Amino acid sequence: MTELDCEQILQLVWQFLDGEIDETRYLEIEAHVAACADCGPRYQFQRRLLALVEMKCREGPIPTELKRKLFRLLEE
Amino acid sequence: MASQIAPIAADDRERFQALAEEHLDSLFRAALRLTRNRTRAEDLLQETFLRAWRSFHTFKPGTNARAWLYKILMNAYIDGYRKATREPDIVDQEDVDEFYLYTKVQESDDFRRAGDPEEVLLSRLMDADVKGALDSLPDVFREVVILADIEGFSYKEIAELLGIPIGTVMSRLHRGRRQLQVKLWEYAKRAHYVRAAKPPAESGGR
Repeated sequence: MTELDCEQILQLVWQFLDGEIDETRYLEIEAHVAACADCGPRYQFQRRLLALVEMKCREGPIPTELKRKLFRLLEE
Repeated sequence: MASQIAPIAADDRERFQALAEEHLDSLFRAALRLTRNRTRAEDLLQETFLRAWRSFHTFKPGTNARAWLYKILMNAYIDGYRKATREPDIVDQEDVDEFYLYTKVQESDDFRRAGDPEEVLLSRLMDADVKGALDSLPDVFREVVILADIEGFSYKEIAELLGIPIGTVMSRLHRGRRQLQVKLWEYAKRAHYVRAAKPPAESGGR
């Protein structure tokens, strides 16, 4: 397997962050972004961006009244 | 223990309640993001809940309950809430790539002056900005972003939930994330200027 260059690494960043990459490539990308001054900051930014989206879209638990209403439907 | 007449039904109900209980919080969150509206989210959740209960006899214990419930949620959503099923014909802007937001913040003198521009940008974005940006995406992109980035499903699981090929999941997810960044950049710029224009004494209270 030939080594990936920076452009190829950056194309795979989403798949890498999504855990959708085979293990050999995963280790290669992990090592590359840790060492590369070009890819590293881009990778780190995308990682934080995904974490931000997940965090900002968190919601509290389902309202108790709604849950009660749903469970009452089962008794009908 | 329930009456002798319907012991199975009572037992089923308890098992269903336990299963639903575990997933209601995340189903409600997904319904909120999918419908973008609290009332519609409650309706969608109720529809999902009833459909799941009616087909509970088809659920195989030990299989993935979360995937089973989300499949029902997505079907109910597609049946009753989603309008467009086709991908929008809009052509992706040429200058928008996977690293749009990173590039924009690096190019911005305003953000660069702050020292750690990426940190400044990300810390400026509020809950409402991120939700608003997500809400603005076309449905077919929005739903894959919600399933991947908020609900944490794999490409394969999303493909099964939506009945589309994995390649389509990936292309919609990538396009969705690109458009999300364009929107977030608009919000970030606005927040930046608003804040820059305010006098610093603001925090002193009345």
